[in-house]
Amino acid sequence: MKYKKPVINRIDFAISSKYGSPLHSQKIRTEIDGIGVHELVEQYGSPLFVFSQKRIKEQYMQLKQAFEDRYPKLKLSWSYKTNYLNAICKIYHQLGSGAEVVSEFEYDKALANNVTPSDIIYNGPYKPKEYLKKAILNNSKIHVDHLLELEDVQSIAQELDQVVNVAIRVNMDVGVYPNWNRFGFNYDNNEAYEAIKFIANSPYLNLNGLHTHIGTFILEANAYKIATIKLMKLRQQALEEFGMNVEYIDLGGGFASKNHLKGIYQSPEVVVPSVDEYAQAITNAIYEYNTSDELPTLYLETGRYLIDEAGYLLTSIQAYKRLPNGMKSYILDAGVNILYTSAWYNFNIEIDKDYDNLTEPSILNGPLCMNIDVINDNISLPPLERNSILTISPVGAYNITQSMQFIRYRPRVVLIDDDSNTRLIRQEDDLQSVMAKELE
Amino acid sequence: MLHQIIIDENNMGFIPSIGASFQMNETAREIINHIQQGLHKDDIIQALVAKYGISQQEALIDVNDFFMKLKIYGLIQ
Ligand SMILES: Cc1ncc(COP(=O)(O)O)c(C=O)c1O
Repeated sequence: MKYKKPVINRIDFAISSKYGSPLHSQKIRTEIDGIGVHELVEQYGSPLFVFSQKRIKEQYMQLKQAFEDRYPKLKLSWSYKTNYLNAICKIYHQLGSGAEVVSEFEYDKALANNVTPSDIIYNGPYKPKEYLKKAILNNSKIHVDHLLELEDVQSIAQELDQVVNVAIRVNMDVGVYPNWNRFGFNYDNNEAYEAIKFIANSPYLNLNGLHTHIGTFILEANAYKIATIKLMKLRQQALEEFGMNVEYIDLGGGFASKNHLKGIYQSPEVVVPSVDEYAQAITNAIYEYNTSDELPTLYLETGRYLIDEAGYLLTSIQAYKRLPNGMKSYILDAGVNILYTSAWYNFNIEIDKDYDNLTEPSILNGPLCMNIDVINDNISLPPLERNSILTISPVGAYNITQSMQFIRYRPRVVLIDDDSNTRLIRQEDDLQSVMAKELE
Repeated sequence: MLHQIIIDENNMGFIPSIGASFQMNETAREIINHIQQGLHKDDIIQALVAKYGISQQEALIDVNDFFMKLKIYGLIQ
């Protein structure tokens, strides 16, 4: 007779009706793109980030298709901060994406990845003057955040004795809160209009773009309609009042991935708009509000939507114990230092086989010696064996770039290509890399 | 408390005096039966090892864990 570890749960009807029955079936994942999770861990170690090139391409084509089916002039810019591993960036560049960067090193990384300099969008609230100048000389797209920066650009243009094209970042109320109003010029109080006037009055500046990024994980497609309308109205004013033909509008990023936001009880399939809904909201508004002879080029700086679902984290059960409150605590080899987004997502967590056993309330703890190192504080799991593997997803967006070298080394990253071959795209940290910049 | 538990054919346990219900699997039921028959922890471990051919260590960890859970639920002292 097959042994099953003993499980007993007290049935609290209030709890089971609120959080679902403890009997509910567990999700199982044995492979990613045809490669076994155990095989991956045997070859590359645990924990391990795994990216699927197939999935990256599928998401990209879906986004591109949704917009190109509706609109003739689309440019996509890969948002570097979302995931700037070169191997990942290069996939997007090969697919035709430019780059959207917000710092000097991201800018240099995009150049090193052979992005045409004019296809680099330089965003962000702080751009050192030396990099502004570099971007101007390279003819990159500069999205100005504030008036002082506009003056910086003007003084560089004056020094170079040339007219410099700029775009301004615009913030606005689109009915989504918190309102991202710290970046760029405000639309609703006319600050954006005043910035356009400043540009129009400067012999050294020309307005060629209008940009907004209304926030991230936006669950309302209609917010994009409002944002598009506001940018189109500014574009009309720039042309009619100041004779400046704005070539492009940039709606930033923010499309939600199928991740499960904490505090939202419906599944992502229910609450996350489809990419067609986002595309429809934006493109319909452009057509409706375009008054010039020429349609603007539409730029998107989509990050999360493109990469989140293509990334998985494999982690192994290192130990388990019973907590004083009766919960089973599992100690994993991956912690919150490499899962920054665990603060706001309840990830999809899949086990590596069918245990054919009852589940019990469990908590997933990372290996850090910190009380906050919790990846899931209440999940129903059957008693898992030591060394079994959990697959955590979607983790492709922001976790690698925001991961922290803290207590444990950051793990390896593997890419599974279109033909299901695996390739190491980042080595794990080691003592040497951790100490590389230390001086005694 | 544990001697009062009534376990039905679906492995649902009920303790009438406190109105508490429990869900358990076959192994949990087996261990509870052993406790009700007066077996000590060490004997239960040996019984599991003999019946399922699992290691001494696995049986020890699982039975200790199970006893702790029974204690947390107030079913044993
Ligand atoms: C200016 C800008 N563009 C694009 C993005 C990418 O956003 P997302 O990953 O939500 O698509 C961000 C993210 O914060 C951003 O700040």
